Amino acid sequence: MRGFRAAGENLSAEFDRVEAALLSQLAGQVAALLRGAQADDAAPDPVIARLLPDAYTDDPEASAEFRRFTSADLTERKVRNALMIVASVESATTASESVEVLLDGVAAQAWLRALTDIRLVLAARLGIEEDDDEIRADEQALILGDVYDWLGWMQESLLSALDLDG
Amino acid sequence: MPQTAEAVDTSRDTDISFALSSAWTTTVWNDPVNLMSYVAWVFRSYFGFDREEAQLRMLQVHNDGRAIVALGTREEMERHVEAMHDFGLWATLEREDR
Repeated sequence: MRGFRAAGENLSAEFDRVEAALLSQLAGQVAALLRGAQADDAAPDPVIARLLPDAYTDDPEASAEFRRFTSADLTERKVRNALMIVASVESATTASESVEVLLDGVAAQAWLRALTDIRLVLAARLGIEEDDDEIRADEQALILGDVYDWLGWMQESLLSALDLDG
Repeated sequence: MPQTAEAVDTSRDTDISFALSSAWTTTVWNDPVNLMSYVAWVFRSYFGFDREEAQLRMLQVHNDGRAIVALGTREEMERHVEAMHDFGLWATLEREDR
């Protein structure tokens, strides 16, 4: 993959098929997770709690009320952001060579948020809760840890490409 | 000039009720996930902080564990908190310490 850089009004990166498919799959999973949580009235699981955290530190009732009023909108926007990633990389998932992915300003905004949400979900799965937390050492966690770092690198490249005209 | 005096009183009342209803803050908390550059970018693009201010608040979040980024009415702070959650940042609102 080549990281993002400015391309006129747009931002451009290159993905190969495996990278595009992986990113698309992760974004799709986050969208499905959010939709599932919306349908389910039970107490939010720890992963959803990272995406839709309490708005009050010491007032569970006010937090619940805040969640009642905001979670449907927030969920819908987060799902839309994640699906923007799926749509942006769709052509790259079937290409035989690396494909350029172009984002306009609106898509870049969605990507930055969705990459954050995917990383929040991975962090919750990996048990990363404090700055110095070590990632679990089993094989699955090592792979997820690499993916987590890759997404961070991708987001960093998107931010620095945006920054040139900011 | 009773009318003028009345006018002053009214505006004073308004100021007092504004002060009371303004006593809320928005806090952004450190989390190990979000990139420092992203947090600074959110502060710039959403709150309109200049580069220096955004960098300063971001470092405050990183080093002190949290930073207060806005002050105003409860409704305004709820809007900011919702916007921060939209960006994937961990934010809360609290009544200002007096």
